[in-house]
Amino acid sequence: MEGKKNPFRISRVFFYLCIFLICIVTLYPYFAMFCTALKSRAEIFTPNGTIFPIHALWSNFVDVWQKAPMSKYMLNSLIVAGGSTLIAMLCGIPAAYALARMKFRGSMVLLGFVIVSQMFSPVVLLIGIYKVMMSLSLTNSLLGLIFINAAFNQAFTIWLLRGTFLSIPIDLEEAAKIDGCNQVSSLIKVLLPVSAPGIVTTLIFIFINAWNEYTVALTLISADVLKPLTVGINIFNGYNMIEWQYLFAASLYAVIPVVILFMCIEKNLASGLTAGGVKG
Amino acid sequence: MNKKFMRKVNPYLWIAPSVILMAIFIVIPIFMVFRMSISDISKAGIIKGFAGMGNFQKVMGTPAFKIVLRNTIVWTIFVVGLSTLLGFILALMLNSKFKGRKIARAIIVFPWATTLVVQASAWKFIIDTDYGTLNSLLRTLGIIQANVNWTPTAGAYFAWEIACGIFVTIPFVCFTVLAGLQSIDQSYYEAAELDGAGYFKTLFKITVPLVTPQLTISTVLNIIYVFNSFPIIWTITKGDPANRTDTIVTYLYKLAFYNGKQGQAAAVSVIGFLILLICASLYMISVLRKGDE
Repeated sequence: MEGKKNPFRISRVFFYLCIFLICIVTLYPYFAMFCTALKSRAEIFTPNGTIFPIHALWSNFVDVWQKAPMSKYMLNSLIVAGGSTLIAMLCGIPAAYALARMKFRGSMVLLGFVIVSQMFSPVVLLIGIYKVMMSLSLTNSLLGLIFINAAFNQAFTIWLLRGTFLSIPIDLEEAAKIDGCNQVSSLIKVLLPVSAPGIVTTLIFIFINAWNEYTVALTLISADVLKPLTVGINIFNGYNMIEWQYLFAASLYAVIPVVILFMCIEKNLASGLTAGGVKG
Repeated sequence: MNKKFMRKVNPYLWIAPSVILMAIFIVIPIFMVFRMSISDISKAGIIKGFAGMGNFQKVMGTPAFKIVLRNTIVWTIFVVGLSTLLGFILALMLNSKFKGRKIARAIIVFPWATTLVVQASAWKFIIDTDYGTLNSLLRTLGIIQANVNWTPTAGAYFAWEIACGIFVTIPFVCFTVLAGLQSIDQSYYEAAELDGAGYFKTLFKITVPLVTPQLTISTVLNIIYVFNSFPIIWTITKGDPANRTDTIVTYLYKLAFYNGKQGQAAAVSVIGFLILLICASLYMISVLRKGDE
């Protein structure tokens, strides 16, 4: 896409201006949250307030850890997101492999079922989910959240991984078969390394989805010590009074680790491992 | 014989974990909701008896439901359509080489990595008339003199919610397409350049067909996710005033958890499900047709 006829080249300045504006707009909510998190409650509710805080209260970022059990919330989020990703991948990779590489009766039914299963979001199924979790004694349990998140992320896992596997020529695996690899070892040793970009995309998506999940956790978890961050931070979002400064300070703690994680892994996406694997 | 049997069973062993997981945590709840939609349910959530189509008739007979249905369609079409278009263009931009590309990509990831509740509260605060930061920003820049009321009507609120929806959906489309763009073999472009194909010809004859799988997945999933999206509208307006900004999901949530009408809530779920099923069938037909070829 870096050909000479790329019209983006014609107006380089315009291109950079567009990118710059997109970045500014994208960052604006975080900038606004950060500035607000530094203000005092009185300053936030002053009419005709300023953009930057007049008196920056850095203590808000410290106080928020005492005003709520933030470290507990964060650990819960980590357990739920990590566990969901693990289970979703352990179930999704074999299923996607079977759907990409094997011919069997019912494969189209399974694909159709995966789509249909996603018609209902957890929000829509909340009443039904709650009843199932009650009978399994999985309410007020992080394991319950892990299973729900893993199940509702199966569609994306299977679709994206199947697409990735299908885009990779079967030659590599056939060569491995000649070398004496069985299906399991050719999947692990040949197909998975070559599919790294697709797998990483999938991993990130599940992890972020589970970390950010709100509605199911809100409904299933009532014990404060078991709440993940997304639910926990609403301690500052009272019915009549919103503590914007603490809400945004806590929100930034909830958002930043995930953003950093994503940025670390995002570089792997850029390196174009698939093309390298096929060419090399 | 045994070996032949194993070969037949083999694919099903590979799919079993996934199928079991989805059966317990998705299929059974779906069954529960369908059962509740045709049941007479007490406020405590206990099924008292068979209600036939009673719940559906009650829902359909509510004047607000028409508004809710229209809102849901407007919401889904605008958010999915515009975010797919903008996300695709952004992916093309990010796939070309330029200085600071890594930084730009890292920044554009942000909204995707952010939980919707946080993103929505931020926007709710930004557009606030009296102490919102959009007004302070524009005042500081000298663009406006006095605070502007960005949300004078319910329609304006809904438009902001749609904008917020587009904002948070773009990165998903962008990075899904980008992953596809990067797996395209560069030799296609080398060949196209040798043939003297222009940018747009290359775009529509090579790029678009090769990222179609990624575009299809992101569009179909976005239709489902956006149609079922709850936190943005819930955080900003809760569907108020008078259901003007409600979609099916927020409406049924209120029915179930605020008004104690679980039967009617389940009926709304089923109606939403049927609408999405039509979309999914269209997609499935196209997939199955491709499979036949």
